[in-house]
Amino acid sequence: MEKDISKAKVLVCDDSMMVRNKMKKLLTAYGFTQIFEANDGAQAVEKFADIIPDITFMDIVMPELSGVEALKLIKTNSPDAVVIMATSVGTVGNLSEAIKLGANDFLQKPVDEEQLDKLLDNYFKKEA
Amino acid sequence: MFTQFFGSYLLNKKIVSAANLRVALEKKDTTRVKLGVLAINAGYMTAKQVDAVHKKQATVDKRIGDIAVEMGYLTEAQVEELLSSQKTGCLLLGQALVDMGCLTNEEFETVLNDYKNENGLTDNDFSNEDNEKTENVISSFFAIEGEYKDYCSEYVNVLFKNLIRFVGDDFTPLQSAVTDDKDIAVIQELCGDFNAVSAITADNKAATAFASRFAEEEVADIDYAKDVVSEFLNLSNGLYNVNISETTGKEIGLNPQETTTASAVNGIKAKFTLTIPVEFTFGTVVFTLAVI
Repeated sequence: MEKDISKAKVLVCDDSMMVRNKMKKLLTAYGFTQIFEANDGAQAVEKFADIIPDITFMDIVMPELSGVEALKLIKTNSPDAVVIMATSVGTVGNLSEAIKLGANDFLQKPVDEEQLDKLLDNYFKKEA
Repeated sequence: MFTQFFGSYLLNKKIVSAANLRVALEKKDTTRVKLGVLAINAGYMTAKQVDAVHKKQATVDKRIGDIAVEMGYLTEAQVEELLSSQKTGCLLLGQALVDMGCLTNEEFETVLNDYKNENGLTDNDFSNEDNEKTENVISSFFAIEGEYKDYCSEYVNVLFKNLIRFVGDDFTPLQSAVTDDKDIAVIQELCGDFNAVSAITADNKAATAFASRFAEEEVADIDYAKDVVSEFLNLSNGLYNVNISETTGKEIGLNPQETTTASAVNGIKAKFTLTIPVEFTFGTVVFTLAVI
């Protein structure tokens, strides 16, 4: 179901400040105004529970908890959560495990604007 | 990638100085490859013939191609073919060095042919880089042998492709470098069928310049530079992992990156350590792969 972007909350989980900054820039350009960040897997789970974002971008290689472990915890508590794995380690093994755990989609890093916008169009509608 | 190794070849043979090579690498993107260099590369003309055509051109108002045809060195079809051929990085670098006066046409001819012969390369390889040939050049340059040869040469292959794609092609691989005095060091463990520690070390100046290019923004803060360099390591290792997984069906796990010191990187007890110093126009960045 398409959600209204002006009211949507997005959570970006990545241990790299550079990646979070880039994602924030791209998401702001797309129209999001409520962007939250987590810099490791454990924080991702915690922030998800606090914020209940409409969409979550999850790196895989992260300290504390990996993105796949964080995904598992998030999906256990919130099966309808929309979680997109955004990683450079897009191997068959990683992706099939993430899909099995309920990941909704996958973005290959480095994420570019076109790739991100195309994915977001599947979930959100912009105001005319 | 053969362009970068051609630069190393010129340095190792002491044909050009590091300073001149750096300038040529900066200039190559704005260099126009002339017909003479193209004809030498294609083997249609010798350097002596090119020099004779240039000499003649100084006395008549005609294009180089027309003079070469008149003097019987080239056919019109060959001129057309050369002008429309792909201007590869090696040729751009060679032309930049010729334009700078660091190489004569004759020296360029000799060194280019020697480089091709020593590495079993053809013209076609310069425009269509074949993985096997690239990895042969890599293995031979870094003297990679033994049990982990394929994993290590593939590692360098993926690393250099990522450097070209995300940082810039103005670099030259070196065969040795001192890593102890580097200001920053980041590491990441690879584990699975192939266990290794990968690392990047650099001084502050090279680290911030490298980070600025990769992040596509000015990076002056050293902590932020460490974050960016560390993300490059993670990205390159991730893409390496994808390549290994696609070609062998095996997966290598990646642990989160950590900040450490250059001496800790040098102290890693390894079965085999591959040190990959890369000289960019802004400074040296050292990549390490220690197989444990």
